[in-house]
Amino acid sequence: MQKFSRYIKSIGGWFVAAVIAAIICNTLCFAFYDPCQELVREHGATTGYLLPDSHGVYGLEGYCIANIDSYGYVNRDMERSDDYYIVAGASHTEGLFIPERLRYSDRLNDMLYDDGKLHIINIGKSGNYLSVVLQHLDGILGEFPDAKGIIIETDSLAYDTKALYDSMIQAGYDPNETAGSILSSMSLRSRLSIKAKQYLPLLRLLHKQYYTYRDSKKSEEAESDILDPDFWRSEYEGDFETALDDLMHFIRSKTDKQVIILYHPAVRLMDDGSMRILTNNAESYYKKVCAANGIDFVDMTDTFLRAYNEEHIIPYGFSNTTPGDGHVNAAAHEMMAEELKKVIR
Amino acid sequence: MNIFLIVLLIINYIFYSFLDAGSLALLIGLSLFTYAGGRYVYHVKRTSHTDTKKICLAVIAVQVGVLCYFKYLSGASLPVGLSFYMLMAISFIADVYRDEYSRFPSLTEVLVYISFFPTVISGPIMKSKDMIPQLSARKKLTFGRVERAIWLLAAGVFMKFVMADRLSVAVDRVYEAPLVYSGITLFLTSVAYTLQLLFDFAGYSYMATAAASLLGYDIMANFNLPYISATPSEFWRRWHISLSTWLRDYVYIPLGGSRKGKMRTYINIFLVMVISGLWHGSTVNFLIWGMLHGLGQVVHRFISENRKDTVKTPRILSMIITFLFVNFLWIPFRMPTLAGAWTVFSRIVTLAPGAAYYYTYTFIFAGVLLLTEIAGIVRANGNNPLKPLPLDTMYGRIALCVLIIATGMFAYFGSGAFIYAQF
Repeated sequence: MQKFSRYIKSIGGWFVAAVIAAIICNTLCFAFYDPCQELVREHGATTGYLLPDSHGVYGLEGYCIANIDSYGYVNRDMERSDDYYIVAGASHTEGLFIPERLRYSDRLNDMLYDDGKLHIINIGKSGNYLSVVLQHLDGILGEFPDAKGIIIETDSLAYDTKALYDSMIQAGYDPNETAGSILSSMSLRSRLSIKAKQYLPLLRLLHKQYYTYRDSKKSEEAESDILDPDFWRSEYEGDFETALDDLMHFIRSKTDKQVIILYHPAVRLMDDGSMRILTNNAESYYKKVCAANGIDFVDMTDTFLRAYNEEHIIPYGFSNTTPGDGHVNAAAHEMMAEELKKVIR
Repeated sequence: MNIFLIVLLIINYIFYSFLDAGSLALLIGLSLFTYAGGRYVYHVKRTSHTDTKKICLAVIAVQVGVLCYFKYLSGASLPVGLSFYMLMAISFIADVYRDEYSRFPSLTEVLVYISFFPTVISGPIMKSKDMIPQLSARKKLTFGRVERAIWLLAAGVFMKFVMADRLSVAVDRVYEAPLVYSGITLFLTSVAYTLQLLFDFAGYSYMATAAASLLGYDIMANFNLPYISATPSEFWRRWHISLSTWLRDYVYIPLGGSRKGKMRTYINIFLVMVISGLWHGSTVNFLIWGMLHGLGQVVHRFISENRKDTVKTPRILSMIITFLFVNFLWIPFRMPTLAGAWTVFSRIVTLAPGAAYYYTYTFIFAGVLLLTEIAGIVRANGNNPLKPLPLDTMYGRIALCVLIIATGMFAYFGSGAFIYAQF
């Protein structure tokens, strides 16, 4: 009996220790990895919001403490101006890797305006690649009817003919689908789930680590495909240029605002000391077709190469990841803002 | 008939099959050859007055020949652990020759010793006289032993999968294209590799020690704060201790050690380091790495022996110089070609311009190591200050749980292979 009681006491002690250790590590996560909660939507400018008026900490790649505005986007706490541009794109635009003032949307805002208002509204959302943004064009125009222009960021032009046509299928716009309305219509279970995630970033980090481990092999295979120079070439045969022209024409038919496509290609650092641009050679098509449809095409290729060759600046990667990989860093955001400044009307 | 040893032998072979099934026959064959060779030497020693030195050398020559064939001639990938278990096999023959055994070990004992799964991939290289007597007299599994094993395992996993593998990210990227980066970046990367190698190998050694401890066996510590060494020879007393002592006992001392005059001592030291370099790899980089380490030790010994002044170099200065010496020599050890190593080295010393990349984890883990070293100097007389956590206390349990959770939080999933397993 005494042995049994000692056994139970020992298990109890270990349980208490595990709980205290989890609390310690969870507390550490608030300073290392505590991402914002996401709210999914279907008929809007993006595929989702981030939890309004919240903040998140991202320390796995770069380091960022992100503040989410009352609309559910990653903008600074500034009054929105009536004279504004929209910046749409995926995780590079969302910019949860660098301090918010260094994001290209914020830098552009500060370069162009000094009235303390938000003129460049960032609606970047992870996963909203070029084709996804275009599918939400009605949503963008519906939600931001007075925008002077739309900037669409993309790190890839690797879309085949079908994808280009699919980009024209609109998700539609529902003006009632705001972050607030999504929150208020949530079930108790979903709200509890959000609360739990807010207070337990450790579980989210361990979950992410698990998926990283599971996917580590898959991503290696995918990378080798993209690096193959012939991988995308066949996609440009046939009606690619026509499809691209149809898409740009479609965009132009939707709006007469300034539309800018901001393209920043991936890079690779070579063993001869040079930096190679990973391109599928679609830029020339985009430049030609965009020009024909009155759409500005900003290609960061030359700027990135110049910055590397003259000042050894690598546009991707952070001090806690690897150079040339992942997301655009603060130096590249600055370059992107400078280039956009030149074309904004 | 020791049932435990037979079960352990089967486990050893199953474990090895998972890693390199194609080389299992080689492991078994070499083990049987070693046993037969050792038995013959033992038998001849006891039944006749013939000098068994030649027999012993012949057996060792075959063992070294097999190692050299796979390492330098075959062109195929090296069988897993061959470099390590071959040294253990040689140690057995040498120990039999030196009459270290009052009773000749059984076949099972020899087979288990050579294929012992915690050490077969990357050591520690246990000497047969230290390991074989333990096999049939394993220690009782006490709470203290389990406690120590759990701590070593958790610490080893953290060192490997968090510290070493995170550092490998930066090292691999920079060293694959050194012309991209500035001299300062390359220097910091060389430090990152210096740390990575320690955490990788020490992490493995901790895990191996933990596994052996749970089985009731004690295996030697392989590291003892190597980067606080104040001389090149002290470094080798603290780094990969099992290899250093193996080379001392089975190469340096048989060559005459320091008993045959100064010049011969210098030559012996140099030869031992050249052998160490060749043991690590077949490229000219390893040869040069070994030669430079040998030269470093010889020069230091020569200066120490012939120094007239009484002014003593401050230890901290000696430690920094030794660290830089070791750190720079890890460059040819890591780079695949000599030209690549020269590129890195020359860009560092000329402070070449290039991309700046100051990897955060290099600073964090260097800080962790520095604190450990300071604790070792201040509290443990220059020895490893890390003691097993007292798992019977709440503090010890919490610390262990934090270590385990932190491993899950910060582990890097990418590389994963142990560096020393390739040797």
